[in-house]
Amino acid sequence: MSSRFPSRARHRLRAHGAAWLCVALALVFAAGCERETRRFDPKPVPSDLRTQPQSLPDLQPGQPGPGMRETASAGRYDEKSAYEVAQGKMLFRWYNCSGCHAQGGGNMGPALMDTTWIYGSDPDSVFSTIMDGRPRGMPSFRGRIPEAQVWELVAYVRSMSGLIPNEAAPNRDEGLGGAPPESMRKPQPPKDSDAKVGG
Amino acid sequence: MTRHRPVRGARALLAALVIAAAFPARAQQRPTVDEGSWPMPAHDVANTRFSPLDQIDTRNAHALKLAFSFATGTTHGNEAAPIVVGSTMYVATPFPNTLYAFDLTKPGAHVKWKFEPHPKPSAQGVACCDTVNRGVAYDAGRIFMNTLDGDTVAIDAASGEPVWRTHLGDVAKGETMTMAPFVVKGKVIVGNSGGEMGVRGWLTALDEATGKIAWRAYSTGPDADVRIGPRFKPHYAQDQGKDLGVTTWPPQAWKTGGGNAWGWVSYDPELDLLYYGTANPGPWDPEQRPGADKWTSGVFARDPASGDAIWFYQWSPHDLHDYDGVNENVLVDLEIGGRTRKVLLHADRNGYLYVLDRATGEVLSADAFAYITTTLGVDLATGGLRYNPAKEEHAGKPVRDICPGSAGGKDWQPSAWSPRTRLLYIPGNNLCQDAEVHETSYIAGTPYVGADLKMHPGPGGYRGEFTAWDPVKRRKAWSVHEYFPVWSGALATAGDVVFYGTMDGWFKALDARTGKLLWKYKTSYGIVGQPVTYRGPDGKQYVAILDGVGGWAGAIVSGDLDPRDATAGGGFVNAMKDLPKYTRKGGTLYVFALP
Amino acid sequence: MKAHAIAPALLAALASPVAWPQAAHDALQPAGPQAAHIASLWWLAVAICAVVFVAILAALAWALWRAPRAQASTPPEISPPPAAERRHARGVAIALGVCIVLLVVILVGSISTDRALASLPLQDAVHIDLTGHQWWWEATYDDPQPDRIFHTANELHVPVGRPVIVTLHSDDVIHSFWVPSLDGKKDLIPGRTAQIEFRADRPGDYRGQCAEYCGLQHAFMALDVIAMPPGEYAAWAEAQRRPAADPADPQARRGRDLFLSGTCMMCHAILGTTASARSAPDLTHVASRARIAAGRLANTPENLAAWIHDPQAIKPGANMPANLLAPDDLHAVVAYLETLR
Repeated sequence: MSSRFPSRARHRLRAHGAAWLCVALALVFAAGCERETRRFDPKPVPSDLRTQPQSLPDLQPGQPGPGMRETASAGRYDEKSAYEVAQGKMLFRWYNCSGCHAQGGGNMGPALMDTTWIYGSDPDSVFSTIMDGRPRGMPSFRGRIPEAQVWELVAYVRSMSGLIPNEAAPNRDEGLGGAPPESMRKPQPPKDSDAKVGG
Repeated sequence: MTRHRPVRGARALLAALVIAAAFPARAQQRPTVDEGSWPMPAHDVANTRFSPLDQIDTRNAHALKLAFSFATGTTHGNEAAPIVVGSTMYVATPFPNTLYAFDLTKPGAHVKWKFEPHPKPSAQGVACCDTVNRGVAYDAGRIFMNTLDGDTVAIDAASGEPVWRTHLGDVAKGETMTMAPFVVKGKVIVGNSGGEMGVRGWLTALDEATGKIAWRAYSTGPDADVRIGPRFKPHYAQDQGKDLGVTTWPPQAWKTGGGNAWGWVSYDPELDLLYYGTANPGPWDPEQRPGADKWTSGVFARDPASGDAIWFYQWSPHDLHDYDGVNENVLVDLEIGGRTRKVLLHADRNGYLYVLDRATGEVLSADAFAYITTTLGVDLATGGLRYNPAKEEHAGKPVRDICPGSAGGKDWQPSAWSPRTRLLYIPGNNLCQDAEVHETSYIAGTPYVGADLKMHPGPGGYRGEFTAWDPVKRRKAWSVHEYFPVWSGALATAGDVVFYGTMDGWFKALDARTGKLLWKYKTSYGIVGQPVTYRGPDGKQYVAILDGVGGWAGAIVSGDLDPRDATAGGGFVNAMKDLPKYTRKGGTLYVFALP
Repeated sequence: MKAHAIAPALLAALASPVAWPQAAHDALQPAGPQAAHIASLWWLAVAICAVVFVAILAALAWALWRAPRAQASTPPEISPPPAAERRHARGVAIALGVCIVLLVVILVGSISTDRALASLPLQDAVHIDLTGHQWWWEATYDDPQPDRIFHTANELHVPVGRPVIVTLHSDDVIHSFWVPSLDGKKDLIPGRTAQIEFRADRPGDYRGQCAEYCGLQHAFMALDVIAMPPGEYAAWAEAQRRPAADPADPQARRGRDLFLSGTCMMCHAILGTTASARSAPDLTHVASRARIAAGRLANTPENLAAWIHDPQAIKPGANMPANLLAPDDLHAVVAYLETLR
C-alpha cells in the first residue's frame, strides 16, 4: 500500500480487507460443507406415494413378486451431496445398470448422457422410471432397491448429462474409463423439457 | 422359360448334380423345393449359401438393375435373409417381427399377406445386440419363425394364418430368440439367446406338425440335461468324462452359464447328424467361472430325432473374450491328404478357420484368417487352444490390443461356399479391443457381463475384410479390405459371382475367383442382411438383400448410442463413431436382376 | 434418535460390544511359525533397544554426576587435556562400534526373519482368495476342481498344521490383512494381486483386522480366522460346499421369497437359490458364523434384525442400506437366514 494513504486509513483498509477475506473464506467452506455432508442415518420420511404399483410390470429383476415393501424411506433426493452421487455411481454398476446403459452411452438401453430423455429428466420422472420400469424393456425395481438408494441413482443418472451441480458430480474413474468424468460434462439441457439445469 | 438358352439350363443342372454329389440323395425325407428357390437362410442343410443359378455371371453382373424395392418401416438391423419358395418371397423384420409375404408374380413388391405376431415390447430391453431376426425357414407349406420374446410360430405359407405357436423363452429372465429356425426330419430346431443376461442356453426341437417340444438339449449342466449318454463319443480327452457340464464350473454357475444356441444349424443327411455351435459362457468375467465351462463356445453333433449328443469340440475352452461358438458349420467334402474327407468348415470368433472331420469331431486344421494376439494356435494333437497369457484378463487390470476383439474375426454374419471355386467366402471383421473385467452380480433379468470393452480397428486401420479362403491350401486366395466391418452375409452363385453388402450401404458383386469388383449399388441404409438369389416366376435370376443397419456393429445408429462413451454398445461404439455419417436408421428390401 | 420396534434390541446390540473371549489377537502370542518369526525379531529388537536405552540412561546419569562443578569465577577450559580427549574419543568409538554391531545384528535378524517367512513349506496348502471391500472381507476357497470352490465372508476357517496361501485383492481402496497371532501385515491394493502365506499350529479363534485406513468403518472391519483340527476343517469345508436347503417352516419360506424378490438378492448370494450377487457377503451359511457385519456384532437373531433394519445406526457409512420393513417381513427374513447353517 502506497504512502499516499494516511496510516490510520491504511490500518482500517487492512482490517476491512481481512474481514472480507474471512467472510469469503467462510462462504467457500460453507459451500464445501454442503457438498461434503454425509447423512448416513437420516430420520425416515414417509414413503413416496408413487411407490404404489400402477400395474404388474413385465420385467422385475430377481424372483417375480412384489419384493420388499418399505414402511418409510430412509432418504430423499439430494443432488448437492457428492457422497450421494458417488453412491449412485457405485450402485449403477452394482445393480447392473451399466450392463444396459454402459457408462452413459447406452447398449441394450438408451444413452443416458445425451439430451434425449424419453420419459423425462426431472428427478421425479427418473425416479418413476427406475421404480416402475418402462414399456420397452426398462425393468421395474420397486421392492428391489430401497427408495433412498433409488434417489441416489437418480442423482447419478442426472449427473451423466451434467444436470446436477458439478461440484457434486463424480470425478475421474479408475480403470478403463469410457467417458469423460461426470464432473467435466457440460450441462446438456434436455430436449423439450422444462427442467432447470443445475449450475 | 423359353427365353433362356438350353445351355444355361444344362449348366444349372450340372451345378445341381455337383451339389447332389456332396450328399447322397437317400437321406432326404421330403421332396426338395426346386433349385431356383431359397427355402432357408443358409439355402440348404449343408449351409453352403450357394445357388446353382448362373444367369448372372461375371460377364453380365455389371448390368444388374434394381427390379423393385420395399420399405420395411423398421429402424433396427435387418439381419434376415429373404426366403423364396415358388413364387412367394418371405421377409421377417426385426422387432416387432412382422412377416411379409410378397407375391413375385405381380410387379413391384406386392404384399400377399402380412403376419404380425405382436411380441412383448419389453423384449427389446433384454436383447443384447439389437432387436434383430435372422430369418424364417420354409418346409412343407409352412413358414417357421421365432419372435423376439421367445415364441416359435408356424404360419401357413399360402394364407399367412398361424398354425401353431409355442412359447419357449422367458423375457423376465432376459431370454429372447433371434435365430432362424432350422427344419429337419419333421422337427423345427430352435435355440435361445440371452447369454449376456445369464440365461442358460439350449437347443429345442419342436414337432413340425404340432409345435410340441420333442426334445431339448441344454448347453450346460448334468449329462442328462445336455442329452449326453452312451452314444457320446467326443474325439478329444478333455471332452470325455461324466457331468463335465457341472464339474467344469464353480458350483451352480452352470445354471447361469450361457452357451446359447443363437446361431446357425446344419445337417448331414448321410451321417444323420445335426451341427450347431454354443455361445460364450456367462459372465464375460472369466475369473468368476474357473474351469473349462463346458459345453460353451463349442460345436455339438447331435442326432436330430432324439437330440442325443454324438460328439463335441470346444473351440474356446474357458472363453476369455466372448468368443461365441455359434458361427455356421459349412458341410463340404474336401480332398485332404490324398483322400476325400467329410468335413465342416467353421470360421470362428476366435479367428481360426477350422476344418473338422464331421463324423468324429477331429480337428484337421485350424488356421488364422484374422489377426490374432489372444491365442498362440490350436494344438492339433490335443485339440486344445493355446492361450496367450499376456492377454488374460484379471479384475482391475486393463488388457490392451486383444485381437480379435469380442466381435471376433467373424461374428454371426454367415460365410458361403462355392463348390466350383472350392473357396469359402468369409465376411469378417478386423477389430481389436482394450478390455477390463470386474466382478459382477447375477441378478435375474439384468445383464450378467462384468467387462468393459473399447474396440478399435485392427492392424492396417480397416475394420472389415471379405476373404476368399482355400481350406485345402489353408490360406487366403484373395481378400478385399472394407472400411467398416463386413456385417452382412455372403452369397455365392454358380455364375461365379459372390455378393455381400457393407455397413455404409454398398451392395457388391465380386468375381468369385479373383475378387474383382463387378458391380455395386448404393442402398439407402447400411447393410447387415443376408443376400439371396432365386429364380423368379418369369425365369429370370434375381438377387435380394435387405438394408437397414443395426445388429451389434450398427447399434450406434439403430440405438442412437452416444459415441462419447467408448464402452457403449459393448465397446463397439468406439470403433464405429463415424457410422452415423454414412447411414441413418431405416430398412428396405432391394431386389435386383439383369435388364 | 428414532423410535421403532427394534429399538430395544438395537440398544442391546450397541450396549454389548462384541466380546472376543477366546479370540487371540496378540502378536506376542504367536500361534504359527510366521508370527513366531516376527515375534522373535521383535523380541530381539526390544532386547537390543532396551539394552541401548539402559546404557544411554546410564551414560546420561554418569554424565550428569560427572559434570564439572564450576563456579562463575572458574576460567573456561579452552583446551581440554589431551588425555581426556583421547579417552572421550575412545569411548565414542567404542559406543559407535557397539551401535554398528547391534544394528548389524538387527539387520541380520531382519533378513533372516524375512527368509524364514518366505520359506514356509507350502505343500498341500489351502488356497484362499481374499478380496477386501469397504468394510468386509470376501473369501473364496479355491480348488483345482472348479465345482469344489466355495465362497464365504469375514470368517476364515483353516486347518491346523497346513499352510494357507491367501491371495489378496481389493475391490475399492487399499486395505491390509493382519491377523497378529498368525502373521504380519500385507496390503490389499486395488489393481494388484499380493500373496501371503501362514500356518496355524494351534487350534483357536484368531482375530484379524484391517490394518490400513480404508474409510469410515475401517475400525470395524474385523476378520475371524478359526484354526481347526484337519478332520473338523474338512467337515466344515464340505458343509460350506453344500447349497442352502429349502426351508420347511412357512415363516422361513416367506422370508426366502422376500429375500429372492426383494432388496437382499440385489447384493447377496445364497448358493442353491437364484440369488447370486457378489456386491455383499455370501450368506449361504451365514447362521454358522459367530459374528456378523465383519465382526461388529455377535450373530444373534436380534442383532441380525437390527442390522438388516438399519445398518447405518451400527456402522454409519456402510454400503448396506436401511431396509425399513414391516416387523412381520423382517422377522420372516431373519427366520430364513437362521436356517442357513
